[in-house]
Amino acid sequence: MERFLLKNIDSPDSAGIGEYLRTGGYASLKKAFGMEPADIIAEVKAAGLRGRGGAGFPTGMKWDFASRDPKFPKYLICNADEGEPGTFKDRPILEKNPHLLIEGMVISAYALKSERGYIYLRGEYPHARAVLDEAIAEAYEAGFLGGDVAGSGFRFDLSVHQGAGAYICGEETALIDSIEGRRGQPRIKPPFPVNVGAWGKPTVVNNVETLANIPLIVSMGAGRYSEIGNPECPGPKLFSVSCCVERPGVYELPMGIPLREIIYEHAGGIRGGRELKAVIPGGISTPVLTPDVLDCPMDFVNLPKRGSMLGSGAVMVFDDTVCLVRVCWRAMRFFEHESCGKCTPCREGTGWMRNILERMEGGFGRDGDIELLQDIALSIMGKTFCPLGDGAAGVVLGFLRNFSDEFMYHITNKKCLAESG
Amino acid sequence: MIKVTIDGRDVELEHPVTVLEAARKAGIEIPTLCYFEGLSPFGGCRLCLVEVEKLPKLQTSCTLMTADGMVVRTETEQIRAARRSMLEFLLINHPLDCPYCDKAGECELQDLVARYGPEAGRFAEGKRRHPESFDDPIIVRNMERCVLCTRCIRMCSELQASYSISVTGRGSHSFVEPFSGGRYDCEYCGNCLTVCPVGAIMSRLHRHSYRPWFVEKETETVCGFCGVGCSMVLQMRENSIIRAIPRRGVGFNEGLLCARGRFGYEYVEGGEELTTPLMRVDGELRQVSWEEALSFTARRLGDIRDEFGGGAVGAVASGRCTNEDNYMLQKLMRFVIGSNNIDSAARNYYAPAQIYLERMFGQGITANLIPGIANSDGVFVAGGDPTAINPILGLKIRAVWRSGGRVVVLGAPGGLKRFVPYELIPVPYSEEIVLSAIVGRLLDKNPPGGANAALEAKLRGLRIPSDDELGSTGVSPEDVVRVSEDLSSMSTPVVVIGPDMVQRRRASKSLFLLGAIAYLTNARIFLLADRPNYQGLLDMGCLPELLPGGRPVELEMFRHKAEEALGMKVPEQRGLNLFEMIDGAESGRLKALYVMGENPVFNLPDGVRVEKALGSLDLLVVQDVHLTETARLADVVLPATAWPEKEGTYTNLERRLQRVRKARRGKMASYGREDWRILADIAGRLGMTKTYQRVEDVWEEVMHVSALHTGLGYEEMDGGRALWPYYGEPLRGMEGDFTVEGLDGLPEVPAPERPYLMIERPLYHSGTFSRRSKALLAIQPGPYLKMNPELARRHGLTGGDKARISNGRGVLELEVRLDDDIPDNQVHVANTFEGFAAMRLTGFGTDPVTGALYIDDNTVRVEKVLR
Repeated sequence: MERFLLKNIDSPDSAGIGEYLRTGGYASLKKAFGMEPADIIAEVKAAGLRGRGGAGFPTGMKWDFASRDPKFPKYLICNADEGEPGTFKDRPILEKNPHLLIEGMVISAYALKSERGYIYLRGEYPHARAVLDEAIAEAYEAGFLGGDVAGSGFRFDLSVHQGAGAYICGEETALIDSIEGRRGQPRIKPPFPVNVGAWGKPTVVNNVETLANIPLIVSMGAGRYSEIGNPECPGPKLFSVSCCVERPGVYELPMGIPLREIIYEHAGGIRGGRELKAVIPGGISTPVLTPDVLDCPMDFVNLPKRGSMLGSGAVMVFDDTVCLVRVCWRAMRFFEHESCGKCTPCREGTGWMRNILERMEGGFGRDGDIELLQDIALSIMGKTFCPLGDGAAGVVLGFLRNFSDEFMYHITNKKCLAESG
Repeated sequence: MIKVTIDGRDVELEHPVTVLEAARKAGIEIPTLCYFEGLSPFGGCRLCLVEVEKLPKLQTSCTLMTADGMVVRTETEQIRAARRSMLEFLLINHPLDCPYCDKAGECELQDLVARYGPEAGRFAEGKRRHPESFDDPIIVRNMERCVLCTRCIRMCSELQASYSISVTGRGSHSFVEPFSGGRYDCEYCGNCLTVCPVGAIMSRLHRHSYRPWFVEKETETVCGFCGVGCSMVLQMRENSIIRAIPRRGVGFNEGLLCARGRFGYEYVEGGEELTTPLMRVDGELRQVSWEEALSFTARRLGDIRDEFGGGAVGAVASGRCTNEDNYMLQKLMRFVIGSNNIDSAARNYYAPAQIYLERMFGQGITANLIPGIANSDGVFVAGGDPTAINPILGLKIRAVWRSGGRVVVLGAPGGLKRFVPYELIPVPYSEEIVLSAIVGRLLDKNPPGGANAALEAKLRGLRIPSDDELGSTGVSPEDVVRVSEDLSSMSTPVVVIGPDMVQRRRASKSLFLLGAIAYLTNARIFLLADRPNYQGLLDMGCLPELLPGGRPVELEMFRHKAEEALGMKVPEQRGLNLFEMIDGAESGRLKALYVMGENPVFNLPDGVRVEKALGSLDLLVVQDVHLTETARLADVVLPATAWPEKEGTYTNLERRLQRVRKARRGKMASYGREDWRILADIAGRLGMTKTYQRVEDVWEEVMHVSALHTGLGYEEMDGGRALWPYYGEPLRGMEGDFTVEGLDGLPEVPAPERPYLMIERPLYHSGTFSRRSKALLAIQPGPYLKMNPELARRHGLTGGDKARISNGRGVLELEVRLDDDIPDNQVHVANTFEGFAAMRLTGFGTDPVTGALYIDDNTVRVEKVLR
């Protein structure tokens, strides 16, 4: 497939504005200024773009809500807090193609009539920070940011706000709290940020990849754009493939591509030709799947039918040498560590599940532990303040649903099925 | 109209509220932990989950707004199971140390587990550990018990607006900690204790000394510390106060208290209370019987009256005593002894300011409701820090800021520092110039409409300072413009006047200017009161010129009415005020002074002079709870009961009448008698025929004598209906009868070389009572010499050093404490602690127009004490 989002990244100068302009960069921006803001929103709606951060909310609809709110100023925030284990798909845009993001943000801001934007960058991305700062400076210099963007009279200021390492700050309301200088914790919704966001003003929070799609939609038009991938949720999609494959990395492929193609054609198949045991399709908080779903199209529509989610499109592949109890335990350590502590089930439940999994993994599992784990996960599911806790519960439920034998083996034999096999 | 169905019951709502509120309105109880009425919703505990038709997941009823047609179920098996799960989660890391947790019995977690289970725990791993913190003298925190409902944090930031605590850490290692680390070093309001549902934040005062079910009796009463008059409940065991707590839904303080109110009650049972009357025999105070003390006092008072006339006797009333006590003192003086020489420490500022403002605008001008402040869109404060003098009133000012209003403070903003957009700190004693400039701008911007002709006539004669003349004030012309713009942009402003605006030369002009600002901006006026019953004692006639109900004694009509009501005579001439009585004692004109619940030697300026004056009296009677500095000079000391040991009423600064209730009785109560009873006994021995059995009898008489209080019985007060204007007749027709000193001039701003000694009004202390409260002493154990670092540097001092301040009146040695918020060339010392009478070092005079005290000659030499 033709690469759109990662078009130029093999060039050593891909992050610089010169290279970006040379390959047609900021042309969409100029085209956008010839359009009415409302028309851009309509175009994004028509393109069927769905948010690439994980939830897959229709971007055009989100913009529509924000632009209908009469309050000003409006804020545009790029969520670059890419912190979920397995997910590194925004990183090549941030580090190698930052002007695509900036162009996408300026167009979006113009459409939303926002004059102020922030890139909320993950604390652990120091290199991206340097690249973004440089790119923003270049964009100001070239007149693509600032008081009079590209001679259009439109004003847009953009800066990077770097997080301090909390996963929860990827949740948009926690992110806004963090930008405001508060402790990052999810806020009560409604009101949603599109109406009451940063400093109480209408705020659109979009993922890096989502915003990077905007110049593409503007230049191609909604019609051509929506021909890419699955018509129900079209567009190019970045997949970060990791763990037991020959060629881990980020792949730009059409939405809806079958999982099998990603793993076996693009990522080179399972490392050492081993057997595929399990795959997590969309980052650690999406439930694990078994090899019999390999033909499932990777998109927001089809994965839920198979009991998982597209999430961030972070494909984690496990072969038969991997102990899934250990994977599950490690995932739970992450959720326990990253639970913000606001709501009871997530704060207490993740730690409890980690405790049990740790015991199992260490050979101290007990009869009834699987049922207990299941019960705890069900007690968390659907009762947490934000999706973090649901994610944690979903992970455990996914592993227990598909691999309960392996857990049972751990309890009865005090060791790994993987190691003994 | 919104219609929702909750548990099959139809609920109709005028406005959308949360499902939880709608359910409670319908009498359906949904369990909660993190929800607390009055605080913002949080949605963290997940106990209030309910089922809502058409919504797939359970919903938190505390955050979900009702919508028309919504069908809600609050107690199904699914919900019960979910709640059981949440409680099981909460118990994972909860220590389950209920047997020795002070909260057991009133622990919301315990109650909920009893109701929903789980009956057995399944958590087999190690619990999170976190050591209990005893770093703070008053508050112990046990974060293992914390359920992270964050009610304390929301209380601290939203209602107290102190922003002193926050969650630190993350996940199950989240703990609530003060920003300052170990000690709270906060405002110690203790309102976090009220909201903590478990034993995570607890008072150390009664640690391990009681269980909630030990509470034998609860007495609803009114706090005795300041003029706000917060409602509180005293929880008693064996007649000892276990706790003072606020109660939601009772009183206008809406469940809030301050440090003094919550922790300060201990002064009444510190063991230092007087137990028997004392009489001076051979120069020493000796214990005597009540009969001996009373008959001696009555005989001596009678002798002096007979020999020198009633005018040779004077009395000092008390802002801590009830209306009934003060009324009886007034009656004893005016009607029995025949002297109008009655005044109180309200003379310091409250009484003259009140009387002056009433002359400008009419009776009741300061009778505005404290809760109403929060609804206003702007506040102008001058003359003191409301958050220290009247803390709960101060919170209302912070609430104005929270809701987007503007707070402007003339002077150091103190506890309002975080809530003012800019500081406006004039050089001491130049405030009059700044106020004149502000009034000048306001007159330009919105010329007055003629409603108050007398006031406007005077305004026309006001000298408006030029920009050059502002030079000496330290306030720039731009600042004046800014303040004036802010003041005129307020549509429902409030003007708050504190003592510092009165205790200066030409108090009439400062008061006139503040009144003019209120007039020109259509503001409501609040007068800060640092005693619970200053307003009450004025209304009871404890003033040389006013009878009960605020009627001038010199007007024959009013005098006759009072005489008729009681069948006794009153002298025609106004009496001596507090300072004239001091003068009288010095000159020998005054022979006897009856001091009730006041400590003039300590609380009045120039203590040496006051002490000498009192020493030259023929008879000094002191009626008090403790052996105060003044009582030590007395010829007779009569032990009185303290605030929780008597019934009566207080009138707060908004003129709300509230009942003070007797909590302690029996063997644990002090041996004192109620003040009014002692006074009635003496009056009886001097010829008064009327007798009183109960305190109600005294109030009956007040209702009869004071036209203001007609028809206002205890029942009305209990119903919360005793708000101004009462059923009785306020006095009308006095407006406009006032004079302003120096209207056409501007004062010279003194520029002394030595710093001014200013009296600090600490949040944690109140007069000399609080120095007997162990809790308040733990927060602030002694006096400090507070100054800003620059002044300290100039004197070679730093924080923690010992420094000596001195002038012709005395010397004090104090520990230096640096405070950036104290303006230059000032040192601040609290006038509270035994042996550290800072007031003693200040001189005073009386303002010829208002009769107010003014502080004068109050500079001190500051030097380092070398060890």
